[in-house]
Amino acid sequence: MLKLFRRSTRRAFLRNAALLGVAAAAALSVLPGDTRAAGKVRIAFGDIPSVESLHFLIALERAREKGLDLEVTYLKSEDIAAQAVVSGQADIGVGAPYALVQKVKAPIRFFYQMSTLSFYPIVNTEHYKSWKDLDGQEVAVHSRGSGTEAIMKLMAEKNGISFRNISYVPGSEVRAGALLQGTVKATIVDSTNRRILMEKAPGKFAVLPMEGVSATDEALYANANYLAANKEAVGTLVESLVQTWREINDDPAAVAGLRAKYKLLPDLPKDLEADIGPYFQELVAGKSLPQNGGGEAAVRDDFAFYTLSGQLQGDAKTLELTKFWDLGPLDAALAKAGRR
Amino acid sequence: MKTTMDGVAAMPGPRHGAGGTLLRAAAAMGGGMLLWRLASIALFCGLWEVAGRVPISPAFPSFSATAIAFRDMMADGSLPAAFAVTLQPLVLGVVISAVLGVSAGVLMGLRRGVEWVAAPVFIVFQAAPMAALIPLVTFVYGIGLTAKVLAVCMLALPVIALNGYKAVRNVNPSLLAMARSFMASPWQRVVKIIIPDASPVIFAGLRLGVSAGFIGVILAELLITPTGIGDLITYHRSIANYAEMYASIASIILFSALTLAVLQRIETVFFRPEKQGA
Repeated sequence: MLKLFRRSTRRAFLRNAALLGVAAAAALSVLPGDTRAAGKVRIAFGDIPSVESLHFLIALERAREKGLDLEVTYLKSEDIAAQAVVSGQADIGVGAPYALVQKVKAPIRFFYQMSTLSFYPIVNTEHYKSWKDLDGQEVAVHSRGSGTEAIMKLMAEKNGISFRNISYVPGSEVRAGALLQGTVKATIVDSTNRRILMEKAPGKFAVLPMEGVSATDEALYANANYLAANKEAVGTLVESLVQTWREINDDPAAVAGLRAKYKLLPDLPKDLEADIGPYFQELVAGKSLPQNGGGEAAVRDDFAFYTLSGQLQGDAKTLELTKFWDLGPLDAALAKAGRR
Repeated sequence: MKTTMDGVAAMPGPRHGAGGTLLRAAAAMGGGMLLWRLASIALFCGLWEVAGRVPISPAFPSFSATAIAFRDMMADGSLPAAFAVTLQPLVLGVVISAVLGVSAGVLMGLRRGVEWVAAPVFIVFQAAPMAALIPLVTFVYGIGLTAKVLAVCMLALPVIALNGYKAVRNVNPSLLAMARSFMASPWQRVVKIIIPDASPVIFAGLRLGVSAGFIGVILAELLITPTGIGDLITYHRSIANYAEMYASIASIILFSALTLAVLQRIETVFFRPEKQGA
């Protein structure tokens, strides 16, 4: 009797285990399948949506109006977004992973330049007034191999000076805070934090002049196979971007209205809402929003800048454009919209 | 709480005689064991090599590429230099946690009052997801060495303290009865009976604390400011040198594993003569 009971419970256990296994297998097979729905363009964005990405969000809404089915995933960093594109979990990434495009064993190509680097070398005027004063001094930048480090190195080279030490403090807001506290005396920050510094301590800080530095800050990239297979969708996206970028270049104040129209960032606090106007004014004044989405000259600038920063290996002059960029989608969009 | 319990449970105390026979049997096969372990490592490296060559991801380097990157980074001095930087907050944090943790643990075990005040704090801290708390440390302590040492302590201290507390609380009652019979003073009871009897579990706690410290220091170097090994990982990731990135990660894992193995050896030699299999 006992034996029989044991056998039946064992059989029940096995049956339940088998059922559980089948259920788990079914669940697993459904999960990845869902994200690969037909016609959906999956975009990996390595930041949280904010005032600084409003123009991109507006362009995405425009593309949606034209019938594109877009799915945007917001990730912790641009690195992770790039990995998502490499592994095929996302179709289009946002960022400037030149090193990845050069080294990874997958044909990733850029196809649209969204913005150029807009950073401002800034010093505490109690200690320094010009580039020459920074000779033999310490400066703080974002991280090793970052654009901010490359800018500071490039400017040091141009001014014939050398820094005693470069320290790494990630985050413009952190460096701005350290500048206010006095723990950092010379650094480089983005436009938002430059404005905050100037407002909080007028006259205490000075922006050092910087010319001749032009490189991609953010660009769109995708697997070459994806670009070839989805010409129409990519074309629609690029057209929306070119249209939006030009509108904002013509009238930076329009961003606030477009945000309201498309109901973007509905939870934005009032004080940040006031930042929208000045932020885009500055972006346009600094020529950071390219009118033509990049192109050959921009790529050459990138090669020069990113070989210097250590992102790219080799001689900037011998790097091949087609190994990094697919200008097809951009040329097609500009053929319709005209060049500026 | 779980790790403490595991740590405590995994270590059979000196009075568990039955476990000793098994351990002796295992030790008798010592030579064979080593071979099996090496085979397991070789199998792992082989699978890694295959996975890298397939490749499972275009950004995943093979074992041989990672090993070459490791050799190059040792040769150019970047890896040893990074270790020197990473070890600073790690050693400081672990030493502070060891001193504070063992004292707090023993006190909690000895005095009900201290237990009521301190134990809940440590239990909550051990249950807390530290990766979420570490960025908060920067708000108060900035981005320097202090913040990193604190991150190490936040992970290491609760494990060490709670293990010490459990160890003292679970001291063999018959030994305590004996101490009373021989009219030992309270001080003698603590120094000659409680601490020696609790020391194996306290040491197990220290070992767990060191491994938690490794987690803490790497979290701090990835989340606060990139220095040492954390810098190598972020830097090589940012310039897509995946072999170098994996070599940095593998090297810290290896270093951590070796440190723990050495600690376990020390523990066996000094506190658990019955485990030596002689």
